[in-house]
Amino acid sequence: MDLDFSPLLDSWRFLASGLGLTLALSAAAVLCSFAAGLLVALGRLYGPRWLSVILVFYIDSMRAIPVFVVLVWIYFAVPILTGHTFAPFWAALTGITIHVAAYVAEVVRAGLTSIRRGQAQAGYALGMSTAQVLRVILLPQAIVRMMPAFGSIVSVTIKDTAIAAVIAVPELMRQAETLAGQTYRPIEIFTAVMLIYFVIIFPITRLIDRFYGRVAHLGRS
Amino acid sequence: MTAQPRKNADRAPMLVYKDVRKRYGSFTALDGVSLHVNPGEVVCLIGPSGSGKSTLLRCTNGLETLDGGEVLFEGKPLPKSDVEMRGVRQRMGMVFQNFELFPHKTALENVATGLITVKKMPADEANRRAMALMAKVGLSDKTANYPSNLSGGQQQRVAIARALAMEPHVMLFDEPTSALDPETVGEVLNVMRQLALEGMTMIVVTHEMSFARRVASWVVVFEKGKLLEEGPPTQIFDAPLKERTRDFLSHLGWDG
Repeated sequence: MDLDFSPLLDSWRFLASGLGLTLALSAAAVLCSFAAGLLVALGRLYGPRWLSVILVFYIDSMRAIPVFVVLVWIYFAVPILTGHTFAPFWAALTGITIHVAAYVAEVVRAGLTSIRRGQAQAGYALGMSTAQVLRVILLPQAIVRMMPAFGSIVSVTIKDTAIAAVIAVPELMRQAETLAGQTYRPIEIFTAVMLIYFVIIFPITRLIDRFYGRVAHLGRS
Repeated sequence: MTAQPRKNADRAPMLVYKDVRKRYGSFTALDGVSLHVNPGEVVCLIGPSGSGKSTLLRCTNGLETLDGGEVLFEGKPLPKSDVEMRGVRQRMGMVFQNFELFPHKTALENVATGLITVKKMPADEANRRAMALMAKVGLSDKTANYPSNLSGGQQQRVAIARALAMEPHVMLFDEPTSALDPETVGEVLNVMRQLALEGMTMIVVTHEMSFARRVASWVVVFEKGKLLEEGPPTQIFDAPLKERTRDFLSHLGWDG
């Protein structure tokens, strides 16, 4: 079998634009799902009973439904139900965020509840409010403890953006499919894509682990 | 029979407990406890584990709610509202058995955090105050250390400084030396003895009988959620009125 990598050299800009979109979608999805997941976790732990019932249902649903299905549903069903169409990028960002936020919420909740009660009590004993205890004492420690789990969620989120290809977001995977179709060189192109994902994600997860090793003692009460 | 007049008995009590009751499920932690603490007194609460001493301390600053009775602090019942309770807690310092220093903050930040977060003091002023308190507990050279780099005794001294930073009217100590290695117990007790000499009102739940004997102005013996006996240390340790006080002390190897 002869391999021909020339389509990659000829069309690298085409793939690079896809890579740019993959990175943008990943960064936006990580930021949005971390913010949303934090709010969901706080709502579940500190909110009224009815809210936590709703949030638990949401978390359970997202863990039971593939992200692929959520994405397709948002892109194809929501416009029919509401009459508003989503641009593919925003549909992808919304779908991935809704999905990943549920996992983030569970990690945040586990992080917060793993801190022993005495820490919060020490804050209350100084006259702090619940919000101050959370902001000054519990969250900083929880964030440290959650770091390894966050590392996995970041890598899963970046990988999940590849699913956006099915709703025609011109990200890395979509561009690769297009290029493979045009050049009849799927092996070369998909191998390159595989390497690109690996080269991006592997150092990120390693860096997070390394950083966690440095700061782990700050979360140990 | 009290051998000597109780300290500051002529002044209004700092804390009054009236028939305080607390249950955890079917377990009765406090079964109608009444006592009072005068300003400037060092009151040691002693008794077997599970006899209610720590629970009483935690009911004092509202970390536990009462099931019956009431606690008066400086003449007023503990407030029901969260906001007012926070105000009361600022005037009560608490020291925990497990120190409960904040692991993500340096020793100095631990001491300054109450001033900055709760009292909204500017950081440089709070740090100056914290520095002075670190000196007071003999840890001027450890201000930049994280709790994980301090010994147990050092951590507990930082915790005392953290509570003192709020300028409390009373200090509550919940078994402050129980989690310490024997060789660091002394440095913590020395800081506490110094505080007592300065006239700080203190309630100390402790198993350190020699500390209670030497430093306490009043000793309260608990048994099964009830007050078994109270009196000056000379009475409790040398001539207890109750046989069961004598039993408890001899169990600890105290021979008077």
